[in-house]
Amino acid sequence: MMTFKMAYRNVLRQRRRTLLTVMTMLGGFTLASISIAWSDGNYNFVIDLFTRTQLGHIQIHSQGYLDKPTLYNTITDYEMLGRTINNYRGVVSWTPRLFAAGLASVGHKSTAVRITGIDPVRETETTRFDKKIIEGRMFGETGTPEVILGKGLALTLKAELGNELVIVSQGADGSIANDLYNVVGVLESGDPLSDQTSLYLRLSDAQDLMVLYGQAHEMAIVIEDLDDVEEITVGLTEAINRPGLTVEPWQEFARSFYNAMQADRQGMWIMLFIIVLIVSVGVLNTVLMTVLERTREYGVLRAIGVRPLQITRMITYEVTVMATVSIVIGFILSLGINYWLSLEGISFGTFTYGGVEFSEMYSEINARSYIIPAITVITSAVLVSLFPAIKAARTVPAKAMRTH
Amino acid sequence: MPSDKNKDIIVTKNITKTYSDNGIPVHAVRGVDLTIRNGEFTAVVGPSGSGKTTFLNIISGLDTVTDGKVWLDGKLLSEMSGRELSDFRRDSIGFIFQAYNLIPVLSVEENVEYIMLLQGVPEKERHERVMKMLQLLNMEGFADRLPPKLSGGQQQRVAIARAMVAEPLLVLADEPTANLDSRTGGELLDLMRELNQSTGMTFVFSTHDQMIMGRATRLVTLKDGRIASDERRD
Ligand SMILES: Nc1ncnc2c1ncn2[C@@H]1O[C@H](COP(=O)(O)OP(=O)(O)OP(=O)(O)O)[C@@H](O)[C@H]1O
Ligand SMILES: [Mg+2]
Repeated sequence: MMTFKMAYRNVLRQRRRTLLTVMTMLGGFTLASISIAWSDGNYNFVIDLFTRTQLGHIQIHSQGYLDKPTLYNTITDYEMLGRTINNYRGVVSWTPRLFAAGLASVGHKSTAVRITGIDPVRETETTRFDKKIIEGRMFGETGTPEVILGKGLALTLKAELGNELVIVSQGADGSIANDLYNVVGVLESGDPLSDQTSLYLRLSDAQDLMVLYGQAHEMAIVIEDLDDVEEITVGLTEAINRPGLTVEPWQEFARSFYNAMQADRQGMWIMLFIIVLIVSVGVLNTVLMTVLERTREYGVLRAIGVRPLQITRMITYEVTVMATVSIVIGFILSLGINYWLSLEGISFGTFTYGGVEFSEMYSEINARSYIIPAITVITSAVLVSLFPAIKAARTVPAKAMRTH
Repeated sequence: MPSDKNKDIIVTKNITKTYSDNGIPVHAVRGVDLTIRNGEFTAVVGPSGSGKTTFLNIISGLDTVTDGKVWLDGKLLSEMSGRELSDFRRDSIGFIFQAYNLIPVLSVEENVEYIMLLQGVPEKERHERVMKMLQLLNMEGFADRLPPKLSGGQQQRVAIARAMVAEPLLVLADEPTANLDSRTGGELLDLMRELNQSTGMTFVFSTHDQMIMGRATRLVTLKDGRIASDERRD
């Protein structure tokens, strides 16, 4: 108790130096907090962007399809499943997809393509498909078979709007699939690599071509809040209750994307390392100066029988008091800044991704933006002060008696 | 309370202390044999550099000997561990230094209370003893004052209170009056002598001041690290 009282009063003794130390720790804390909140905000922003406009947050496949995507491994009653999914809380929409490979030609040009059959209405509702079309138009309501090409593919085939495109493939029944389509649009998905080989058909046309009536390979689901993805995945698995199907969140079905995003977060550690450095240098400087000044005082304490450990503890308390004050002020300060950045964001000029226009990036309000910097500041401050504190504890008391 | 007048509080046997000043040996104490009895009021005097501070530091376990032996209350100091020595100082020796005795961030009351707190004396008893001690030293009106706001003489009174409050075997004071004017210094010595007589506590102090030497009942004179004379005058 008395040790703590002394530590507390010692903090107030050298006001200017205390202020400087507190400012250093506060600066470190705030910097770390803002940067973590910002990178978390961007992290979720990029994930949401990518999943919301491309993959969906949750996908359903027939068991084993993702490991070995064959034409035959399909979901046979997606319409019925869709009703269950639509009624599930937190789900925005779902869309069915059919995948196949084939050969496409326009005039004399031909190339291998990845065929995706989509439900025009559902796909637009779910991933804003129509917004990705940069030339031409969306599929018409009914009528002649139509095709929309990825931008790169359109270049490869030298295809223009109104051209006839021939697809040759093999149907699920083993027959040669062969049909004619009218090029009505060119699309930029946000993934240029995929756009070099992808073309899109109406789901019904694709089902005709592949002889897979009423079937799909994938159901992509978009939910309201990315944070609920695990919970909804579990809930949907139960609601659907179909052992032959797998319901997976984006972290599972887009594992390489997930890993890439995780790697991106390593930047945080560099930031924390810088803060450890700032805090350490600041604290070491103050505590060393303080300990040097108070040599005689520690000598007197040692002489009258205070144990070395009690002196070490007193100095450590002093640093802890300063760190705590810094963290409290830093918390209020960075919460304010983070809150503002989560509402207002920062503009980097307008950019388009997957047909969606964005102009601002935002911070996220979460607990770890405060917990991680707080632990970092306290730990580095206390660890760094241990060295001078132990030095102080070793003060030779005989020196205290030699006043001059 | 120590009362046995024949008990030896300090016994030194041929103690020497050699410092090294950049490799050159400095013989601060060279073979001192001294016995101090319970209740004595001893002044250690001698010219500057004669080894007074060194001697006091050695008999209180603040410094180690190069050779020889020191018994404090029958215990051989060289056989104690650092921790034992630290606790022994806390429980058995009261210190009064020349200056800067007090912890500047603790009030007068807290300064005096501190050692008892370390000893684990209950709060009520602590408070009573502190107040009694401050009264004895005419400092009861300053209990809440911080040391930097006291005069030098007042600070030394608080230091005496702190040194004596835990009723140690021995009170050691290295030039306790050196920073005071001679009148205040004289008053302080009278006070110490009074307490020595009323409590029977043993005092050993060093001084340069002729007038203060006059108040001692035993005068040990050091010269070049040796005892030049040892007179009792009670
Ligand atoms: N740490 C040290 N290193 C080297 N020499 C020292 C050290 N401490 C003391 N000495 C020397 O030991 C001798 C005795 O010193 P000491 O301080 O005991 O004398 P003193 O009688 O207390 O003197 P004063 O009256 O000036 O306080 C002196 O010559 C001093 O220079
Ligand atoms: Mg001296």
